[in-house]
Amino acid sequence: MYAEQREPEFGWTDEHRGLRETVRRVLADRAPVSRARELAEAGERHDPALWSELAEQVGVQGLALPERYGGFGGTLLDLAIVVEEMGRVLHGGPFLPTVGLAAPVLLAADDRAAESAPAAEYLPRIADGSLTAALAVEAWDDAGRPAVTVTADAGGRLTGTVPVVLDGGDADLLVVAARGPAGPAPYLVDAGATGLTRTPLETLDLTRRAARITLDGTPGRALGDPARGGAVLAHARAVASVLVSAEQVGGMTAATELTAEYARTRRQFGRLIGSFQGVKHRLADMAVRREMAHSAAYYAAWQEPGTPEFAQASAIARAYCGDAFLQTGLDTIQLHGGIGFTWEHDAHLYLRRARADRALLGSPQLARAELVPAALSRATTEGVPA
Amino acid sequence: MTVTEPVTDRVTLAPEATDAEIVAAVEAWLHAHLPEDWRAAVARGDLAAVEAIREDPERGPAWFDLLGDSGLATPTWPAEHGGLGLPADRGAVVTETLARYRAERHNRDFVGLVLAGHTILEWGTPDQKAERLPALRRGREFWCQLFSEPGAGSDLAGLTTRAVRQADGTWLVNGQKVWNSYAHLADFGLLMARTDPNAPKHRGITYFLLDMRTPGVEPRPLKQMTGNAEFNETFLTDVVVPDSARIGPVNQGWSVAITTLMQERNGLSGRPAVGEGEADELVARAVGTGAWADPVLRDRLLEAYVEEKVLQMTTVRSFVASGAAAPTAEGSIRKLAHSVLAEKLGVLGTELEPDGAVAWEPEAGSEAADRFLAMKTYSIAGGTSEIQRNIIAERVLGLPKDPDPDRHLPFAERGRG
Repeated sequence: MYAEQREPEFGWTDEHRGLRETVRRVLADRAPVSRARELAEAGERHDPALWSELAEQVGVQGLALPERYGGFGGTLLDLAIVVEEMGRVLHGGPFLPTVGLAAPVLLAADDRAAESAPAAEYLPRIADGSLTAALAVEAWDDAGRPAVTVTADAGGRLTGTVPVVLDGGDADLLVVAARGPAGPAPYLVDAGATGLTRTPLETLDLTRRAARITLDGTPGRALGDPARGGAVLAHARAVASVLVSAEQVGGMTAATELTAEYARTRRQFGRLIGSFQGVKHRLADMAVRREMAHSAAYYAAWQEPGTPEFAQASAIARAYCGDAFLQTGLDTIQLHGGIGFTWEHDAHLYLRRARADRALLGSPQLARAELVPAALSRATTEGVPA
Repeated sequence: MTVTEPVTDRVTLAPEATDAEIVAAVEAWLHAHLPEDWRAAVARGDLAAVEAIREDPERGPAWFDLLGDSGLATPTWPAEHGGLGLPADRGAVVTETLARYRAERHNRDFVGLVLAGHTILEWGTPDQKAERLPALRRGREFWCQLFSEPGAGSDLAGLTTRAVRQADGTWLVNGQKVWNSYAHLADFGLLMARTDPNAPKHRGITYFLLDMRTPGVEPRPLKQMTGNAEFNETFLTDVVVPDSARIGPVNQGWSVAITTLMQERNGLSGRPAVGEGEADELVARAVGTGAWADPVLRDRLLEAYVEEKVLQMTTVRSFVASGAAAPTAEGSIRKLAHSVLAEKLGVLGTELEPDGAVAWEPEAGSEAADRFLAMKTYSIAGGTSEIQRNIIAERVLGLPKDPDPDRHLPFAERGRG
């Protein structure tokens, strides 16, 4: 569990602002969008030197991990700030898969009483940057539970296929959702495990790799209490959703700024195009979506993890930010015109990221379906049959 | 309890009071002062009974006097003017708490309490503050806005109502205003008039606090598309206005109006709290009518549900961010989002009804039809959505203004319309 955030919603502190500035400065220096493009075009997974520097000097991999696991004991909100900044510059590679998607499962399953808890084994290695991980969940149902066909037998041997796993071809550790004797639960699979096949795929989002994972009696290690497995995965997914939402907010912010800057400088018909209402109104709608998405992502980040309010706010953020970023990606290209359709322009990188992020943890429509019980609470308290 | 009873227990709260401290203080005050039958009606959810007390000609005003003198009606006003001196987000907690007991001021007081109140606080003379603020705080005077004109809607600064300085120092006002909510009931009006036609259009306007009972002021109710007649056109014919009614410097009325307009936009996206909203009501209604079983309609409802919650979160955020500071162009973002949402809810609401809300029993009425007919209010009143988009694009994103080659010409030399 992440440290609890005690200030009221949106009460930013100097620490929050300082963290944002530090991360922004490092990324502007070492990982601007041009660098993300360079890595993508060279077919590189990421920049290992920067990865080490982020772990050793900035400490972002372990920022929100408990101190007992080598982390800094920060909050989910702190991590959301980091991920938002990464989203602005389309930072790719193993950070989100490891820190944003896999680590929350390890944390949620953490059993502090158990001696050889996997959290104690792996989280310190995530914190120090020596381990990358990936989350392999086939799909989610409309109640927020993992919907998986991968099976785990009583001995923890896994069989099945996960069609798309972000960074799954390169990560050192796979966190796989499988249907075990007590229902869906997370299992840990080592990269070198027998019977594991990782088939690299081409990706829409050029800044990230993905692979198809095939397991054939592959040895896995149950993570935490198998009876709680479904709940652990659902909670970890709510945490991950907040972080993906923050990444979407970062992407929207950058795409909106990029487009506004173009509208402020590009002339046609003897005028700056930003003075045409057809352009400025579309941009105004982009600004509205960006502000709304920011509110949704951070309102969720400010809730106490594990509470019903948190789960609900997380689903609201996923429902809103996914569609909002996609529309902003489309508008970014539209308002740039022909230049926005070229390979050399960054606009398509944002659109690719927007579509890929939207699919990461279940679609916005699925998020809305998860909100049915909350939306019905008034109907049911009034005694209307549901 | 009578109007004349002296009130000695003004509420005091520190500007950094927590939500819990504010709620406790307000509730303690309400428990000591809210009439027994009012509290009982709230407790059993009998809103009609509460409304009857609120609208009672004796009891209503007595309550709002008491509330006004406690400081709770105007939590963000400075203490010297009877407020609590709280930042916007803290003040919102006060209003929220009052609302849970249905003890807050009437919605129809918005123009007076929020627009006139803040405009006078920021621009009023000591005399204007002393004369108007106590009555505003207690809800004893009812206000309307006299801004728009038949030829000056979105282009508000293009107004042509004239105010001419006379030899005795008074102003002679002639012109026609329109879309003036409750002008036929109002005691005072916020009036903008042109005082220098030879100055560029934004620089020749002066702002007045007009006594609506002055001879020559004639509001005529206009029937809206809803069938109600809340707003008016107001004819101003040789209306003599004393210079003491002028607020802000001569010819700088546009700057004063910005204060009013920003308060208005800021106030149009609802209260700063995340909780049940209109979408929750529609979901409950959909369950009742059976429309909830339609998966397409259900998803559209949930989309509106998500949007409404995110707008609520944005309102909370902007109240925290602005604190005691004046509202900014960012209020336009919330107003725009709200008007888009209101339209969705208006249309959706009719689709949940088995008959599409096209016909109903006369005595039952149709809430869905009412909402449908009122939904366009939000994207027009207080500045159309197109104007809000211009404001957002220009002030938030720094895009160039619409070209206006006549911008610096004297108003009298500009092309009209």
